[in-house]
Amino acid sequence: MFSNAKKIIDIVKYRWIFLVISILLIVPSIGAMGYLTVKTGAPLLVGIDFTGGTIIQYSVDTKLSNVDIANVREKLSAEGIENPVIQILTTTSNKEGKSKSTEIISIKTAFDGDKNSNKTNTVTNTITSIYPEAKLVQVSSVGPTLGKELMKNSIIAVLLAIVGICAYLSLRFHFEYAMFAIFTLVHDVLFVLGVFAFLGIFYGVHVDALFISAVLTVLGFSVHDTIVVYDRIRENLKFASKSATFDEVVDASVNQTLTRSINTSLTTLFTLLALYFFGGVTTKDFVLAMILGISVGTYSSIFVASVLLVFYNHVKESKKVKA
Amino acid sequence: MKNKKLLFWLIILLVLGCIYVVTQKPTKLGLDLVGGSRLVLEAQTTSTIPKITPDNMDSLKFAIEDRVNAMGVAETVVQKEGDKRLIVEIPDVSDPEKAKEFLGETAELEFKRPVQNFDGTEGWVPTGLTGKDLKKALVSTNSQNGEWVVSLEFNEVGTKKFGNLTKELVGKQMAIFFNGELTSAPVIQEPILGGQAQISGGKGGFEYEEAKKMVDLLNAGALPVPAKIIEENTVGPTLGADSISNSKFAGMIGLSFVMIFMILYYRVPGLIADIALVIYSLIVFSIFKIIPVTLTLAGIAGFILSIGMAVDANILIFERTKEELRVGRTLFTAINLGFERAFTSIFDSNMSTIITCIILYILGTSVVKGFALTLAIGTIVSMFSAITVTKNFMHLLFGTGNLKHPEWFGLKAEEINSAYVADETKRENAKFGILD
Repeated sequence: MFSNAKKIIDIVKYRWIFLVISILLIVPSIGAMGYLTVKTGAPLLVGIDFTGGTIIQYSVDTKLSNVDIANVREKLSAEGIENPVIQILTTTSNKEGKSKSTEIISIKTAFDGDKNSNKTNTVTNTITSIYPEAKLVQVSSVGPTLGKELMKNSIIAVLLAIVGICAYLSLRFHFEYAMFAIFTLVHDVLFVLGVFAFLGIFYGVHVDALFISAVLTVLGFSVHDTIVVYDRIRENLKFASKSATFDEVVDASVNQTLTRSINTSLTTLFTLLALYFFGGVTTKDFVLAMILGISVGTYSSIFVASVLLVFYNHVKESKKVKA
Repeated sequence: MKNKKLLFWLIILLVLGCIYVVTQKPTKLGLDLVGGSRLVLEAQTTSTIPKITPDNMDSLKFAIEDRVNAMGVAETVVQKEGDKRLIVEIPDVSDPEKAKEFLGETAELEFKRPVQNFDGTEGWVPTGLTGKDLKKALVSTNSQNGEWVVSLEFNEVGTKKFGNLTKELVGKQMAIFFNGELTSAPVIQEPILGGQAQISGGKGGFEYEEAKKMVDLLNAGALPVPAKIIEENTVGPTLGADSISNSKFAGMIGLSFVMIFMILYYRVPGLIADIALVIYSLIVFSIFKIIPVTLTLAGIAGFILSIGMAVDANILIFERTKEELRVGRTLFTAINLGFERAFTSIFDSNMSTIITCIILYILGTSVVKGFALTLAIGTIVSMFSAITVTKNFMHLLFGTGNLKHPEWFGLKAEEINSAYVADETKRENAKFGILD
């Protein structure tokens, strides 16, 4: 039936391999999140958007080293700023083809809710006493109650999005298809969260409110990719179910959509990589989360979503035989 | 074919309209791109106001607007968010800290009289005379010791109240509380009937800054309910400018890569998709300007991502068209089938994106909202551009008949007729095929 179609991957035959690969992707991710939960109480290192706090950033022209950071920390402590977290970021700006890099000192402290304490001024005075040319680049400050609220809203948003997508897919496909699409989606999101948990453990990367949008976009993309494959399976089943087995239909459908899946991811990755390397420093983690999510989403739509259907069908068939 | 030509001219007309809008209307840029301060204020309940009502919020909004306007910065925005929050946006503010102090202060001025408590201690009770009874306040100096003082001028009611109060309290102390703190408690020597008073800064006197701030706050009027700053985001103008130029640069590079890839892989249809992509960008930007959507960094990311969606639709269509051509269908049929069969995928996958966007828009913070809005607009427009625009151009360019130049589609001559499909698909069934 499908003998003449181009066959690139024997998806059904090697289904166990793909299952193992997915387990290898997911188990360490869950492990890293578990480790962080035990250590910090949250599966990821969360930034001030969720915990509350103040981040003040200054740009300076000189190149900064660890000695400079220690110096800044000491001076700030002397001024009564307790336990500041100091980071150096390097941004490059492209103006008329010339790229210029600037160092940014980022200082994180507890939320400054008391309007009489005026922490920002204290920090600014301290920094300008060390680097007279320093310019205030950005201040962000979030109250602790607002942070908790954002965390709650984010979790609700993710759950609602999953329910919404599940409802839509049940309507358009089968409920089982919807369940497997959700399973694939959770697979992708867990992977992205896991990588960020590792980045948190090893590089101290914190996630912010933008990260939630990235996760939600990954969620949308993952389903997007899965739908394209399932749509093809749905179509092929409709017209070929009598002369081909379910496994053959899945194999053919995946192979038919393979070029599309890869080309789409490539074009999206082009724009995302451009954003990652040339875009602003503030959106870097956001873009990285999407690059990871879209890569794993393409993988899972080809190798996980379809394989799950095959496994499910085998179980269903064997039950039928027994009955 | 006649309809196709008409549609083509309609598309051209739309493009011209979009070019007009894009060049004539200004883009609304968010504070993270132009620089400025964005503050979120939350109304606080007090013993006298146990619950924040919509009326409270309205009057708080007016009071805050007055204060913001008093700062003399153009294009400030004060808007309500939820039941008890206000978002204040101040572009190009030179000293964000000062703005912050200014907004959060309640400016509650109260005159109190002494009272003997039951346990014998002394305390103060309100007299009913407050900052509301003021006409204006100004900074001046005390003629005797040269210290800075705040001069008050009462309105008609205030003058009467103040006169009566000082008459009663001759020889006693009267306390002046500012924002709940005792500022000074002079002993009244004689009744003051002229409606004028001075507040000295107590023992050490006022610093000029202190007196000036108090005057500014008094003149701006008290906030009807106390408000606290719960979120602040200030972006310096250089960072904003850098973000714009960086995003533009990144967008250009990403877009050029996509366009080159499309031409290399899909040849002539790829070129058509590229043109459709330019039209797509024009339409989306016009919509951004007409609504208007305030473009933030996250919003730009949403737009760039929607370009991915737009290209995806074209890739889906071209892959299907190529398949149909391999089967040996004529151009017209192959193109139509390519579009029709790809449509379910495009529709279902875009719907799931839009569902996510709607949820994000409802529940998200303003950053997330901006992202969801641009992505949703982009996704909807991409359905139009990928389907209507690309299809129209394909039909007009390739016409009907058999495929004479397979290389235009990136196909090899020997590939044609080398495959056959599962079955003759009934178009109407394929369009919204639902599994049973």
